[in-house]
Amino acid sequence: MKLWYSFTKELKLASRSFYFYIELFFAIIILVVVLFAIPENFSNSTTEYLYLDMPVENAAAFEARLLDEDSDNTADKMEIKIKKELIPVTYYETEDRKIYLVESEDDLVKLADNKKQLGAVIKVDMSVSPPVTSYKYYLQGYETDRLKNLYKVIHNSNLATLEAAVEDQEVRSLSTEYTVLSDREHTIPSLLTFNGSLMGMFIIAAYIFLDKEQGIIKAYAVTASSVWQYLMSKTLVITVTSIVTTAIIIIPVMGGKPDYLLMLLFLITTGFFASGIGLLISAYFRSMAKAFNAIYVLMVAMMLPAIAYFIPGWEPFWIKLLPAYYIIQGFSEIIVKGGNAGYVLLLSLGFLAAGSVLFIWATAKHKKSLTA
Amino acid sequence: MFKKIWAIFIRDLRINTREFITIWLLAMPIIFALAINALAPSINDSTVRLALVDGENPVQEEYLENFARVSLFENEEAVRERVEKRDDYIGILRDGDEYYILTQGNENQAIVDFAKTLQVLYTLGYDIEDSTAEIIELGRNTPPFKKMLVNISILFGSILGGMLIAINIVEEKGDNTISAINVTTVSRMGFVLGKSMMGLLLPLYGSITVLLITGFGYVNIGQMLLVVLSATMLSLLIGFVEGLANDDMMTAVASFKMIFFPVGGAVAVAEAVSDKWQWTVWWIPYYWTYKGTGEVLSETATWPRMLLYTGIIIALCAVVFIVMIPRVRSGLEKS
Repeated sequence: MKLWYSFTKELKLASRSFYFYIELFFAIIILVVVLFAIPENFSNSTTEYLYLDMPVENAAAFEARLLDEDSDNTADKMEIKIKKELIPVTYYETEDRKIYLVESEDDLVKLADNKKQLGAVIKVDMSVSPPVTSYKYYLQGYETDRLKNLYKVIHNSNLATLEAAVEDQEVRSLSTEYTVLSDREHTIPSLLTFNGSLMGMFIIAAYIFLDKEQGIIKAYAVTASSVWQYLMSKTLVITVTSIVTTAIIIIPVMGGKPDYLLMLLFLITTGFFASGIGLLISAYFRSMAKAFNAIYVLMVAMMLPAIAYFIPGWEPFWIKLLPAYYIIQGFSEIIVKGGNAGYVLLLSLGFLAAGSVLFIWATAKHKKSLTA
Repeated sequence: MFKKIWAIFIRDLRINTREFITIWLLAMPIIFALAINALAPSINDSTVRLALVDGENPVQEEYLENFARVSLFENEEAVRERVEKRDDYIGILRDGDEYYILTQGNENQAIVDFAKTLQVLYTLGYDIEDSTAEIIELGRNTPPFKKMLVNISILFGSILGGMLIAINIVEEKGDNTISAINVTTVSRMGFVLGKSMMGLLLPLYGSITVLLITGFGYVNIGQMLLVVLSATMLSLLIGFVEGLANDDMMTAVASFKMIFFPVGGAVAVAEAVSDKWQWTVWWIPYYWTYKGTGEVLSETATWPRMLLYTGIIIALCAVVFIVMIPRVRSGLEKS
């Protein structure tokens, strides 16, 4: 009952403060950005500079194929400026490639070097029968050996044969229930993690420091209300804010796709965990300025799993030691159709347990500092 | 005047040193730079991870190792179990004479296509030894991802200065120091400048430290500092306004999003969006900082361009200043 009273009182106070409206305002801004500024799917086109070292008729046939694949079936003549020099190029744009044909190997090297992109010379040697096609790649130097090996082998034979064989290669999936998220939807788990769950850590620490500064927290030493109720009421306010702001973002973007009950559970448990860290920080430091570095380093460390989330194939084992990894993965499972509900429930249980330990620890430390 | 500004700065430095904050602040760019050095190679080497049955086809294993990370498992069931785990592992299994690609079903399509291509290259017998391709390297050793991380950490360094100022001011307000300033010989502007020193020097120190440790010491430091300094001025201005406009720490912290959001947006657009949409973030001064520092790191920067970017940042700063100066004044008067 006392907890409920403290919570409603804190909620009323928060709703009157500027903080609450900043949170709502930013949720709306994030929503607008996600809906209107992030494309449904990013274009993953690569840029290539090519020089065709071959007889005119072979080059014409090559260009005809490019023209056929070009999105508007036109070859655009243009000039690219490199250090006061204008280099003439013919530009083609296909679904996944931006190709610039240049007029000499010298121009190719200048462009590959200055634009830091792949340059390739395709040479057809007509002096032998049958004519031999060979490739010379200009790479930057930081490419991995694996990528260089691929460049070496990819043009060993006919591209059309390779493409047809890749098309025919059988793929079996362990589950057909998954729907792949669009690039826009793919950004949601990381946004929810930082705007919702982890910002709670930052905000609750600021919340307690504010009360410390004003001496409010000391009053708990002489009131009937206990410290844990005070800390829990703050945690609940942050959780409510997080639920409201998440709803503002998620409902218009994802509609009926996510399991909202699961989402609610996950928001509460991850928010509880993040608040636990914030409470612990506020227990060990005297002011926000003194805790600032710890919070900043913690925030940056928590951002690393987001990098791993956006780079397929990069997931070192230590990333999995950071809780933010599991928060992002949990949100991802919730919003994807056919996601693993059992995994989310398991994570929720884990965050609830870890949050409880942190909460008990922080309460004990705060209590101690009140009586010290 | 300068003596008083210096005195305010030294006081801040002393208090912070006593609390180990200065040591922390000085250590942070070093920690970030070391983290970048540790992370960059593995990110640059990220590739598809394949799961195969151990000993089933050693030639295939050896071939695929040339292009991807290959892990070997005891039997088909173990491969299935590995693929089923949360991260992106692609299985390649045999069914009779044919091989098939085994996925979990939620992988990025590009990864699946890459695994298919590798298997097909093996099946068709395309050997690296038979390659007619020649590779010429242009002599760059720093991967673009490392450059991006360094650029972001320099940008965040300048924001850190602003955040520090905001937090300091809110605390000073709590201690009623600002009210006390009104009855001393220090002018308000002197106080503002004195409090800015820490936030101004920190990003400059941070940028140089990060550049040196991450191996970018060869870039034009003058051009770099010019751009960083202009961005820091803006961060300090925002930090001051936030510090003075907000009476409590909680609102000040929530307002940090006001800085992080445009910064995040500017970096995301500069890195991931095509040229024709770059204009959408021209209004964000930090976009020009990111672009400027990016060019300095790539060694494509020229003085006229850096001066242009700095000019744009200062012009945008002036707009922010004109809009916010009444709030700074009233904040100083009220405090």
